Amino acid sequence: MPPILEVAGLRAGYGPIDALHDVSLTVDEGEIVTMIGANGAGKTTTLMSVSGVVRPRAGRVTFGGNDLRTFPAHEIVKLGLAQSPEGRKIFPRLTVLENLQMGAFTRKDPPGIAADIEKMFGMFPILNERKGQAGGLLSGGQQQMLAIARALMARPKLLLLDEPSLGLAPQIVTQIFGVIRDLNQNQGMSVLLVEQNARMALKVAHRGYVLETGRVTFSDKADVVLNDPRIRAAYLGE
Amino acid sequence: MSPPVKKPFAIGWEGAIFLALLLYPLFPIFESLFFRATQRSLGEQLPLVFIFALLAYGLNVVVGYTGLLHLGIAAFFAVGAYVAGIFTTAAYSFGWPFWVVLPLGVLAATVLGLLLGAPTLRLRGDYLALVTLGFGEVTKFTLRNMEKITAGTRGLSPIPPPSLPLVPPSAWADDYRPFYYLTLGVLILVALLLHNLERSRLGRAWIALREDELAANCMGLNPNKLKLAAFALGAGLAGLAGVLYATRLTSTADPNAYDFNRSIFMVCCLILGGLGSRLGALVGVIMLVGFDNILTPIIDSKIQEWFPNSGGRICLSFTGWRLAIFGLALILMMRFRPEGIVPSSRMKHELHPDEAVSNGIDPITMGRNTGEVETLGRKGGQS
Ligand SMILES: Nc1ncnc2c1ncn2[C@@H]1O[C@H](COP(=O)(O)OP(=O)(O)O)[C@@H](O)[C@H]1O
Ligand SMILES: [Mg+2]
Repeated sequence: MPPILEVAGLRAGYGPIDALHDVSLTVDEGEIVTMIGANGAGKTTTLMSVSGVVRPRAGRVTFGGNDLRTFPAHEIVKLGLAQSPEGRKIFPRLTVLENLQMGAFTRKDPPGIAADIEKMFGMFPILNERKGQAGGLLSGGQQQMLAIARALMARPKLLLLDEPSLGLAPQIVTQIFGVIRDLNQNQGMSVLLVEQNARMALKVAHRGYVLETGRVTFSDKADVVLNDPRIRAAYLGE
Repeated sequence: MSPPVKKPFAIGWEGAIFLALLLYPLFPIFESLFFRATQRSLGEQLPLVFIFALLAYGLNVVVGYTGLLHLGIAAFFAVGAYVAGIFTTAAYSFGWPFWVVLPLGVLAATVLGLLLGAPTLRLRGDYLALVTLGFGEVTKFTLRNMEKITAGTRGLSPIPPPSLPLVPPSAWADDYRPFYYLTLGVLILVALLLHNLERSRLGRAWIALREDELAANCMGLNPNKLKLAAFALGAGLAGLAGVLYATRLTSTADPNAYDFNRSIFMVCCLILGGLGSRLGALVGVIMLVGFDNILTPIIDSKIQEWFPNSGGRICLSFTGWRLAIFGLALILMMRFRPEGIVPSSRMKHELHPDEAVSNGIDPITMGRNTGEVETLGRKGGQS
């Protein structure tokens, strides 16, 4: 089976500067792939180039057989690719419920949307308790759950997660990663997970990529990456 | 379980204001009390308030809901007024009735809004403000200079009153009530429409876009299309207000009625009342139009009484200080109550999170120390 996502020779950036020089990666159907790297390596830019918010300058991005470079960002969601952006970009003035509804913006099946909202409440009960509150009033961990739930509301085949553990207490990180693994195992959802918390990410992922200043410098099965002495020294603090 | 954020309180006030306005003409005692105090008919003034409230509603869709700074709303107001002027007055041979011209004015303004918006809405923040400002000024000068079409500074007149069953044509001039109820009726209808729109998919999308365009884009929202929709609706409502305005004055008036001052005045009404809030727009308009059309002339005539020999020196007339007071009020507002007098509940949350704390809600900054972990452990044991 061809990979669900294939990025080849991607170059992208902002203004005169290229943030990505040459990024290639694949995500297979039903796979969790993580991309680790230092701050500023280009992880966010990679995800943004896939979701179409940043336009690639060279290279190929193929998702489910579609050349994503020919789609505007708002069309890409409809193809089954959802993103939970870095920094929990929930809508602070919309309620928790409205945030979830925004996640399903491209869908036209109200009963399905309502059922999925219930599903999210089952997965994150705290969101149910707070559903009438403005998103901005949630705590950091709750906002991250909302951001993930909101992305899931699009019923994506591939979920892009940008640093879901950023700034969260360890217990919450564990819970969130548990949900990610669960979605992958029980629903076969593919995940591209960007993390600075490399250890956590490599434990949940099948394969890992290491990104350094806009280039992929290393990639292998997650446990191989996790046990590589250089990676351990550079990213796992050993 | 927290209830969903309906705003019974704010809706209640808006409803109460509309109800009071609907009842006002039924109790002439108020009209005569007001007249004794101010030498003015409140019933004559209020239709103007209703018309500007419509204009403020339109601007609020663009500036309040969607967060685009629009400084040229008066141009679309003018389109409505001139459609009324051209299609009803004897200067042209159309002579169409009000009820045809009203939707036509809305349509014309909407189309113009689309034409201006389509190429410019990609611009960000300040640039959009400049383009709309420039467009407003160009429109004013065009109206003034294309005398053959617009009658220049003389204006197109007389615009005939609407025809309504049971209301004889002469009543529109002799009695304030027909126009009062016409404009109030339109205002209430538009308020109901906006009430539903705010809760619709489109209304939420506008707010999401204002909050975070990037995240909204990631959700599959098309920012350009949404902005264009807001811009067109804002323009259409301004056109509606324009038709009513010219019909009320029976003339398109001087093109200066549609200049930058008008646009900025409307922005001030929104800021004063509370951006994004319908009730705020209404209250802002009542306060500023009241200040301009009622309070200022009263104070001026008092000054005339006290200083009979002021001889028109501007520093001794309140009108001369009007804009300074305006500016000061806005600065104070921005400093002490940036969400406006009657804020939309959404804005209040953001600008005063500490009030939320006292209501027992933990804001973002405190979430991590308020037992979140335990809460999750108890309620969210899914992993
Ligand atoms: N909006 C932006 N404008 C200009 N430069 C940016 C922008 N976003 C990121 N960059 C630059 O691009 C590079 C990659 O950033 P990013 O993709 O955010 O890295 P990461 O997510 O790995 O921390 C950095 O050098 C960063 O400074
Ligand atoms: Mg990043």
